[in-house]
Amino acid sequence: MGMNRRTFLKVTGATVAVSLPSRSAQADESKAPDPDHIGCLVDTTKCIGCRKCEEACNRANRLPMPDKPFDDLWVLRERRRPDATRFTVVNSYPGKPSPVQQDRDRTNIKVQCMHCLDPACVSACIVGALTKSKTGPVMYDADKCIGCRYCMVACPFEIPAYEYNSPTVPRVMKCTYCVDEQQKTGASPACAAACPMESIVFGKRSELLQLGRKRIEAEPDRYEDHIYGEKEVGGTSWLYLTGRPAEELDLPRLPEAAPPRLSESIQHGIFNYGAIPLIFYGSLAGVMWMSNRKSHKASSESDNEQ
Amino acid sequence: MQNIKPLRFWTPGAFVLLAVMAVGYLFGLARLITGLGPVTNLSDQYPWGIWIGIDVASGVALAAGGFTTAALINIFGRKKYHALERPALLTAWLGYTFVGVGLMFDLGRYYNIWHPAIYWQGNSVLFEVGMCVMFYITVLTVEFSPTILEGVIKRAGEKSFLGRFAQRFQKPLQILHLMTCRVLPLFIIAGVVLSFMHQSSLGSLMLIAPTKLSSLWWTPILPILFLLSAIMVGFPMVIFESIIAAKSFGHKPEMELLTPLSRFIPWLVGVYALVKIGDLILRWEQLDFYAHPSDTAALFVEIGIGILIPFVMLLQKSVRRSPFWLFIAVTSIILGVLLNRINVFIVGFHPPFGEAGYFPSIGEIAVTIGLVATIVLLYRFFAYYFPVFDQKELVVHEEECETRRRRAPVLAWMARGLAVLLMLSFVILYAVAHERGIKTSVVGPGQTVYAEAASAPDTRPDPIAIPEPLSFSAETMPKSLLIDRRQTNERINDYEPVRFMHKAHASRLDGNCSICHHRVQKEPDDRVGEELEFTDMDNRKPASCVACHQYPNEADVPVRPGLKGAYHAQCIGCHEKESSANAPTDCIGCHEKRTPNHEAFIHFAGKPEPQEITARCLECHEHVGEDILITAHWKWEAPSPNTKGYEHRTDLGKKNVINNYCIHVRSNEARCSQCHIGYGWKDDTFDFNDPTNIDCLVCHDTTGTYAKDAPNGGMPKQEVNLVQVAKNVGKTSRQTCGKCHFNGGGGPNVKHGDLEPTLLDPPDEFDVHMGRANMDCQDCHRASEHKIAGQCLAIPSSEGRVSCEQCHGDTPHNMNNSIGFHLDKHSRTVACQTCHIPQFAKKTPTKVFWDWSTAGKDLPVEKDEYGMPSYDKKKGHFRWGMFVDPCITWYGGIHTRYLLGDVVEDPGTPTLLNAPTGSLKTPEAKLYPFKCYSAVIPMDAERQVFAVPNLWMGFWKDFDWQKSLSEGMKLYGEPFSGKVGFGKADMFWAINHEVVPAKQALRCADCHQSQAVTCSRCHGQEPGFDSARLIGPRYPESKAKLKRSDFEAMGYKGDPAATGGRFHRYTLPGAK
Repeated sequence: MGMNRRTFLKVTGATVAVSLPSRSAQADESKAPDPDHIGCLVDTTKCIGCRKCEEACNRANRLPMPDKPFDDLWVLRERRRPDATRFTVVNSYPGKPSPVQQDRDRTNIKVQCMHCLDPACVSACIVGALTKSKTGPVMYDADKCIGCRYCMVACPFEIPAYEYNSPTVPRVMKCTYCVDEQQKTGASPACAAACPMESIVFGKRSELLQLGRKRIEAEPDRYEDHIYGEKEVGGTSWLYLTGRPAEELDLPRLPEAAPPRLSESIQHGIFNYGAIPLIFYGSLAGVMWMSNRKSHKASSESDNEQ
Repeated sequence: MQNIKPLRFWTPGAFVLLAVMAVGYLFGLARLITGLGPVTNLSDQYPWGIWIGIDVASGVALAAGGFTTAALINIFGRKKYHALERPALLTAWLGYTFVGVGLMFDLGRYYNIWHPAIYWQGNSVLFEVGMCVMFYITVLTVEFSPTILEGVIKRAGEKSFLGRFAQRFQKPLQILHLMTCRVLPLFIIAGVVLSFMHQSSLGSLMLIAPTKLSSLWWTPILPILFLLSAIMVGFPMVIFESIIAAKSFGHKPEMELLTPLSRFIPWLVGVYALVKIGDLILRWEQLDFYAHPSDTAALFVEIGIGILIPFVMLLQKSVRRSPFWLFIAVTSIILGVLLNRINVFIVGFHPPFGEAGYFPSIGEIAVTIGLVATIVLLYRFFAYYFPVFDQKELVVHEEECETRRRRAPVLAWMARGLAVLLMLSFVILYAVAHERGIKTSVVGPGQTVYAEAASAPDTRPDPIAIPEPLSFSAETMPKSLLIDRRQTNERINDYEPVRFMHKAHASRLDGNCSICHHRVQKEPDDRVGEELEFTDMDNRKPASCVACHQYPNEADVPVRPGLKGAYHAQCIGCHEKESSANAPTDCIGCHEKRTPNHEAFIHFAGKPEPQEITARCLECHEHVGEDILITAHWKWEAPSPNTKGYEHRTDLGKKNVINNYCIHVRSNEARCSQCHIGYGWKDDTFDFNDPTNIDCLVCHDTTGTYAKDAPNGGMPKQEVNLVQVAKNVGKTSRQTCGKCHFNGGGGPNVKHGDLEPTLLDPPDEFDVHMGRANMDCQDCHRASEHKIAGQCLAIPSSEGRVSCEQCHGDTPHNMNNSIGFHLDKHSRTVACQTCHIPQFAKKTPTKVFWDWSTAGKDLPVEKDEYGMPSYDKKKGHFRWGMFVDPCITWYGGIHTRYLLGDVVEDPGTPTLLNAPTGSLKTPEAKLYPFKCYSAVIPMDAERQVFAVPNLWMGFWKDFDWQKSLSEGMKLYGEPFSGKVGFGKADMFWAINHEVVPAKQALRCADCHQSQAVTCSRCHGQEPGFDSARLIGPRYPESKAKLKRSDFEAMGYKGDPAATGGRFHRYTLPGAK
């Protein structure tokens, strides 16, 4: 009885002790973004809500045609989310895109997979069907997928969607960064190429960050002094320049720490090399051996419960 | 206690369980057939429902009795609880098995459930849980297998299949039993370790979603809390089952074991409570109790029934001794843990955009309940047929193991070796998976190459040579531009180049170049610059767009957009502000969409019927058929909002009005319908509601080979290769529209006077729009849902109007000079067409007079000065005209209309079949040009109404007016008295096309012939004022019925230049 409690507390203590310090130790340099890491910079003060990006995405990824055509601009006023039939949507919010644009009364913003630098979905995926390419895109291999949808639970941006209505071969659906299409041609994603306002700029992430800062510097009244995606959840490939607080445009307020750092460091801290389970196994075996000996010696003894 | 078996297995309760199972599996089957969507309420926001929250997470937690009891009895040596071990193991074994079964329903690709065994992803918490559960199911099977083996061995000799089986394989079964009971301790410890691992990892699952899980539950020590609560709920589950089983099998609960066992529980609850509540207190600052009030309530209920109430209860000796109160207390703990799992996975899960929320569907609930029923029924099955509760046999088994140990040491060691190997392999798997996970945590297998990002400057096209500084003057600046640079359409080119009306924009912006071209720098460092107006262009020049906007985001000025962005930003900025002034803000307002190549979509074996082609078109263009079925081009009738007295009618059109050419469509359908956009309109039987009768090709042909057969109801000619035409469909063009509209009245330019085949490829001076600017009909006649804007004065139907002002604006002449000032003032009274179409029928003669009354006689046919016949036996006498001067009269947008049946006042004076309305006193009316066309047409002399002849199958065969008119009127549905007469009928045809270049427009003196007016009186002093070029008459005196210089006929007192216009009365010096 006493033994039970003691062991129990010991294990609990060990778990805490191992998990906490390893959290910081795991943030190693190998995870710094590649110098060629790509990204896209979206300038919401430029977007006019023409839905050309949606149309281009639909075509590039061979997605089904929507019920309402792409030139129907009223759908912008719904709060749409990317789903299994569309990898990107543009939503329109009432209010000026930025304080200097007095004659505009709506702000448009494109939503799609952010292709995080340290993606929660990739860390969550049980079989590695989701992978992060060194240069940026978070890619999905449907053949590996078992359909557990943990990636959808994990994604802080609520992006991966699921083909719930496919009985046999459902897929997780999200922005592909046009990898399949573009790997051969080496151009920017379809949405960025289609944007008539150049409000989506494709390039190296490091250069885009500079560009974003220069724009903020050049027009401090126009932009919020914050590049959304620079630090959020450890940084994202897609970056947003906004003329009003990002939360107003439904860009979720997120911590700077990447969620996988905590869960992975706990996992690796406890289970790496199976060391702690083995030690635990050994100590339990010891307890068993001891208690067996004891019970052999005093097999007739019984508990004193009244 | 010796014989605790129930009397029979199939009790009514068992049947109820079976029924519940059946319902559950029916829904499960439905899920497998239809997919997750129809059966569950799962969504992109809530990907996990109760199948994970209850079936898996709670299932695993509640199966914790297995490892806690095993640990207590075998590791900590409390042998007296032995009787509880097998029931607990059975629950755990069944529980975990059905976690797997439940997962099969939840996984989208359940058939890939084995993938984690191959594709190791050591970073994934779920991988850890999955592998652990898989191994633990194996361990539980080993732990429970003695029970099954004993059950089988015991049956040896019975006359059942199992009995014969046991008899036959007695020896191997006994060896197997021996081996398992020798390795049992190894597996028992492994079971505890594995349980610790995955019970805690189950809590780690939600660590990855710190922003989605409510702060009330998200804590870094979630794994510890999950582990502690699982340990806490283990004994309560054993007690719970034991009491239920006793009740169900009709014996007394084993209180002599349960009471001492329950003594452990408050300690375990206490530890969990300490950590849980301690964690809440430490994180007090972060807790948000108000974000979701239901969360707060759920948390308090969870703590209340899961921790506080049972803790207090179980401290009481009386509670521990009473089967009833003990049952209540342990149920409370179980419910608390269950609620905790549901809270963490479902209640507390708040995705950022999950507005709809999640509540399990009937299907999800049914499957969950069905699984629970299965577990209960299987539990009953094993308890009934296998020695689960039978303590006597248990003791025998113990002794058997003891005695055999010495007998077969080799076998025992072999078994142990196997077990150790199994566990080692598990450990190695772990080591490798995690090591790999750490190494590859971010980088996937592939590295995607993005050529542009990696070497951005190299892949750009060469910069465009910056053009020489613009050398335009205000006079020579481009009137229109085709925006078609490589920079604007290098990537996506779905649209035709934009036809940008440069001068029209300039004049609308009051000649201020700076609005688009930016202010002009005075010196290199000048950041403000100064405005530039195009009157000042002799001194300074604006910059061309591409000179600066070559590429987006260039290093020197990162905020400067590229050419495409610059154009759009510049245009849309103004257009949004000026959207009331016809400035489009949608894409197709400026860009015309390119038609994709249709080659791939058209496949026909053999020669298709025309209707089959249409059916193929409609397969993709689903709604277009319905759109067209209500258009004027299809129905030949439409709303007539601009026809006086018939503003609210929707049924007037070509179908039912008469003109003074061939009078009416009726009885001539087969011929007339060669200009109908349909197939097969020959008579009444034509189905106007069948979209497959629509002739798509006649308008969308781009090959130029499509032609309709003349008297065949609009069917195409036999020799047309319909498939080829269909593969090459495209936008409408001057060719397709002109096929009918350039040949109105049966020949080129017969009817309109300003629409003739010359417009297919006109010289610049003939028509500036279709010549110089190469515009197509639809550039002005905008279509929406196949309703094409434009109002032909000759028929009432209208689907929108076209005006010059829609592009050129109300003040198109404003060049910031005095001439422009005068001309713009004219635009309030004089329509653009009046000056800019000084004459029509410039290449092809048009019919200006027709006398039907002389038809049917054998008169001599003479050629007139234009080479046109002046007589036709079928039709009577004609007169033709070329370079016709239009009639000028007031038109306010409303016209009158003669409908068949209206009484003709006097056949001798012309009846106006249509006429513009308006006068000097109508402010919206302007002076418009018209083709005045006169004719003498047949009528019912007694009823004094115009009459419809049957021409094609009647008069033109037998030349009998009497018969022709009676047939025609009968078909039309009007009575005919039988008395043939003829009456004069006039029509006005609006002149809108054949617009000449500005330099050839009317000049002042073409209308203002009064000698009293001399412009140079005021303007003579202006520099550069050339009175001869601007003022003197260009065209000879008008020969029209309503002359442009006949101001009295227009209602003026005299020449308004002398007497003042209708809005401004002023007198020039020297005028009377």
